[in-house]
Amino acid sequence: MRIERRLRQPWWLSVAVPVVSIAVAFLLTALVLLATGHPPLHSFRRLFDAAFVANGALSETVVSATPLVFTGLAAAVAFRMNLFNIGGEGQLYAGAITGATVGLLMAGAPSPLVVVGMIAAGAAGGAFLAAIPGILRAFFSTNEIITSLMLNYVVGVVLTYLIFDSHSYLRDTSGFEANVFPQGKTLPDEAAWSSWTINGLVLPLGFLLAVGVAVFVWALYTRTRFGFEVQVIGDSARAGRYAGMRTRRKILAVMCLSGGIAGVGGASQDGDFRHQLDPQGLQQANYGYGGIVIAALARYNPFAVLLVAFLLGGLQNAGFTLQGADFPAGLVGVMQGLILFCALGGELFVRYRVRFDRSPRTVKTAAPEPAP
Amino acid sequence: MQPAVALRGITKRFPAVLANDQVDFEAALGEVHALLGENGAGKTTLSNILTGLYRPDEGEIVLFGRPAEFHSPRDAIDAGVAMVHQHFRLVVPFTVAENVVLGDHRDVGRTFLLHPRAIERRVEELSRRYGLAVDPRARIWQLSVGEQQRVEILKALYQDARILILDEPTAVLTPQEAGELFETMRAMAADGRTVIFISHKLHEVKAVADRVTVLRRGRSVVTVSTAEATPRSLAALMVGREIELGRRQESAGEVGESVLDLEGVGAQGDRGSAAVKGVSFSVRSGEIVAVAGVAGNGQRELAETIAGIRPRTSGTIRVSGRLLSGADPRAAIRARVGYVPEDRLGTGVAPGLSVANNIVLKAYRRPPVSRGPLLRFREIRDRARRLMHQYDVRAPGSHVPAWHLSGGNLQKVVLAREFSGTPAVLVAASPTRGLDVAGIETVHAYLREAAASGVGVLLISEDLDEILALADRIVVMFEGSVSGERDAATATADDLGLLMAGGE
Amino acid sequence: MNNSLLVVVLASGVLYGTPLLYAALGELLAERSGVLNLGVEGMMLVGAVMGFWTVQRVHGGSTVALLAAIGIAALAGAVISLIHAFLVITLRANQIVSGLALTIFAGAAGLSSYLGNDLDLAGSPARHQFQEILPKSLQDLPVVGPIVFGQSILVYASWLLVVLVALYLTRTRTGLNVRAVGESPAAADAMGINVAAYRYAHTLVGGALAGIGGAAFSLSITPQWVDGLTGGAGWIAIALVIFAFWRPTLCLFGAYFFGAFTALPFALQSHDITRFAGLYPMFPYVAAVVALVLVSSRAARLRFGAPGALGLPYVREER
Repeated sequence: MRIERRLRQPWWLSVAVPVVSIAVAFLLTALVLLATGHPPLHSFRRLFDAAFVANGALSETVVSATPLVFTGLAAAVAFRMNLFNIGGEGQLYAGAITGATVGLLMAGAPSPLVVVGMIAAGAAGGAFLAAIPGILRAFFSTNEIITSLMLNYVVGVVLTYLIFDSHSYLRDTSGFEANVFPQGKTLPDEAAWSSWTINGLVLPLGFLLAVGVAVFVWALYTRTRFGFEVQVIGDSARAGRYAGMRTRRKILAVMCLSGGIAGVGGASQDGDFRHQLDPQGLQQANYGYGGIVIAALARYNPFAVLLVAFLLGGLQNAGFTLQGADFPAGLVGVMQGLILFCALGGELFVRYRVRFDRSPRTVKTAAPEPAP
Repeated sequence: MQPAVALRGITKRFPAVLANDQVDFEAALGEVHALLGENGAGKTTLSNILTGLYRPDEGEIVLFGRPAEFHSPRDAIDAGVAMVHQHFRLVVPFTVAENVVLGDHRDVGRTFLLHPRAIERRVEELSRRYGLAVDPRARIWQLSVGEQQRVEILKALYQDARILILDEPTAVLTPQEAGELFETMRAMAADGRTVIFISHKLHEVKAVADRVTVLRRGRSVVTVSTAEATPRSLAALMVGREIELGRRQESAGEVGESVLDLEGVGAQGDRGSAAVKGVSFSVRSGEIVAVAGVAGNGQRELAETIAGIRPRTSGTIRVSGRLLSGADPRAAIRARVGYVPEDRLGTGVAPGLSVANNIVLKAYRRPPVSRGPLLRFREIRDRARRLMHQYDVRAPGSHVPAWHLSGGNLQKVVLAREFSGTPAVLVAASPTRGLDVAGIETVHAYLREAAASGVGVLLISEDLDEILALADRIVVMFEGSVSGERDAATATADDLGLLMAGGE
Repeated sequence: MNNSLLVVVLASGVLYGTPLLYAALGELLAERSGVLNLGVEGMMLVGAVMGFWTVQRVHGGSTVALLAAIGIAALAGAVISLIHAFLVITLRANQIVSGLALTIFAGAAGLSSYLGNDLDLAGSPARHQFQEILPKSLQDLPVVGPIVFGQSILVYASWLLVVLVALYLTRTRTGLNVRAVGESPAAADAMGINVAAYRYAHTLVGGALAGIGGAAFSLSITPQWVDGLTGGAGWIAIALVIFAFWRPTLCLFGAYFFGAFTALPFALQSHDITRFAGLYPMFPYVAAVVALVLVSSRAARLRFGAPGALGLPYVREER
């Protein structure tokens, strides 16, 4: 088997491969279901219904998809420059913390102001957190994969601590239940983000914001000097330096951008959906890691991220809805994993051309020739 | 008497090129046999076939009278064939002994457990026998390039290779070290081994080889005894026509004011020690100054310092009379310092980016290529098309990723880009490395043209022939400092060789 | 005295550190061959659930059941890691994404949970579990008693494993070869070493050890099955490998060090010290970051750093 790099990546291949991957993944899942005694078609039908068709399902899917678009864009933004920021999870938590804090602090102010404040705070929180692995990478050549990963856990611990182990500003200490069932303080009404309903479909502000961010990222990366530099540095940092690009500043900037986007996702969780700081809910959801999966599947294209996030959000939503009701638990994770495996495997075919050569046997000449 | 190794009718095709075309080659026991040819003639491909890295499409390999078929490098090593590549295959954090014994499963290596002491003893024994002084306990990153090469040779000897192939080994050695290497080669041949010496340097081939086989464009042309051949005849065979081993003609243009002044410039190397120490010289507009020296004596670091990629630890650099701030490539670019780096594909060009994007790699910041923060794609495409045409860059289009281009075409892209920035100074580091004769002539022509139009050209090269053909003045570097300056018209290769080795 | 805070913390440090040690040793071997496997958490969980299942199903004495359980757990971990190995070694996929996909696939909301539910494993305690094996008299010795002598065979086996892995890497030919594969696959290939084979082998062994580490949870620490039982131990194991500068002996101390910090909040609580207790679990992660920064300077990297080719796919050059 021989592989050679393709000169040009035909656009249809970039679409065909993820689609085929999903199809293959469904097939494999069906096999898993069959092997464990569940009816595949029936399970898929129930999934599809719960995700898109049932009453209010589409709106619920939007709810599930919104954080995934943020973390997916966050991952895509960084991964495009070969910066493997897997700290989206923690950066989202950070944004949730700062967003909730500002939401509580600004109680009484006019609602639009509070919302803007929360968005800004969320972005800042995520950006600051991402700056740590960014600085370590830019100035100390420390691998950002591990540092951003470790910080996820550090922030996770802080997040839990704020509500469960301390009596912090963010914790709800009123009511006699407060000490037994720790909970975050409910955000004031001013801090609730609006939503718009079209034909029964509820579109929260967060979702619309996410779409806006996707457009912005697309424009930034394909049309601007910033994007050009990202392309160059992502391809060869040495060439970037040679060309006079400020590579270290760029690394920091991209990490902060990435973290900031994830942070806004965290603020959106506070403002759109949970209306309090909810450590358990956030940590169980694994939005950050899901975002990486989505970014990889979408091949780091912002618009594809929107689409894939929607699909996987649907899957996630279906998983929640169907939980327990004699529906195999853990199926969602299995499916997501299989989809990703197939996409990763398929990636090979996009980047390379695979040839199965029969290596020619050495041909022996008739008689040895005399030495010249 | 049968030859030690015979290659008959070897043919190897790659997607774009016929690298070996019915090549016949033979080398005897106890012989030093040179394989001569210019870049792209097929020497490396042939040796890769002999060492099991490639499989020939046609032809056969006969070793010591018996046909051999190699499915992997392992088979070749087991059959007694070893190669010392241009780019060493050493594991940098390991010790010499660990590298030597890696992958071996014979003799001392037969056991599962390692016996470090026994290995070191054997390495020392081989070192002494063949004149390859090196400490078996040293780690590779602590060794000089010449010492690392010795480790590669020791690896081959440890595996008891009967056929050793050395691929352009003297590129990284001083003339003196090259002489020591030749003695090692003769000692190995005296032992009954066969040494195949790949080179494109005519005087070396004459100096050490018994016979030489010339390859040209994938075909074997002739095999002669070196005693009977002359550099001129060999050169003609290599290229297929008589070539001028010429000298610099009188400068076509005027030599003007100094455009580059270095005063006591110093810089740190990658290993933590000083690589450039107190270097001072000037380049004037319209002249070509060459920095000669064996690779690893600070030339690369000097070029990087001038281009702003490496921080300066001492001294000053003036371009067109104005002080250049250190460690800032952008300042150097703004001061109109053009830089053609040694590392073409990884530094000079971003390999995954299109040719068009590479052409605007430095120009993207300003109009007309960009307007405000936005890029103007039409302008990029037009500029690329124009320059590719002007510099005769052969490629399917400007959208093609750069890695697809051949070395020569890549270099044209780099030159096109640097020239289009109307530089005052052009620093060219090993610009003709890996190019074939046509490519080399093209680059030389551009450098001469640049000088003629008033650019101050600083050429860094390890090839004395090239330097003597192009330069007006020659500055020799040894261990980070300037060991001497000479006028090209009066310099001799011996004199320069001495300076390159630190002599006076 | 044996109930003092220090002793309790150290003893539980060993207990909690053992799954970390197994998983870290496995990941160390994989990384030494150049393969970064972020799916450790997933592999541990699958090992945990399959080991637990074995123990609930196998008839025969405690020893047989537990031995079978460890075997099955190792096998399960290896099978899961095979997916990652195939994707990154043969298909040259991005190692980070593949490892994360593995965690999602096999982890707390994935296959391990699926199996746990389908096989009805939640709710009942393990029928057999790893107990202390040395006589009570030794266990009652001051200080060393609980810490050193009060452990299960899993712990003692892990000590042997550390020694074996250390000897393997430094003193054997195969160990030298794998180190070369991780540092410079091109050099290893040129010397006739089969890079892919070494990477496959070490990744699978890594998976097997992670599986055993997971079983340490379900059969020793909390002898029952709960979704997401390992609680992030897989990630700590990854950090541990870095913290130990890719050396097995340092893994031992690091594992117990990190294990102690995991145990610390509980121990503190039972001694009525609760201030900031919730923040202690972040310590291993901070420590790993600090270690990584220290190791990143160019000089340190050569001596202590990551294998040179870690995370990069190897393609034999062919023009």
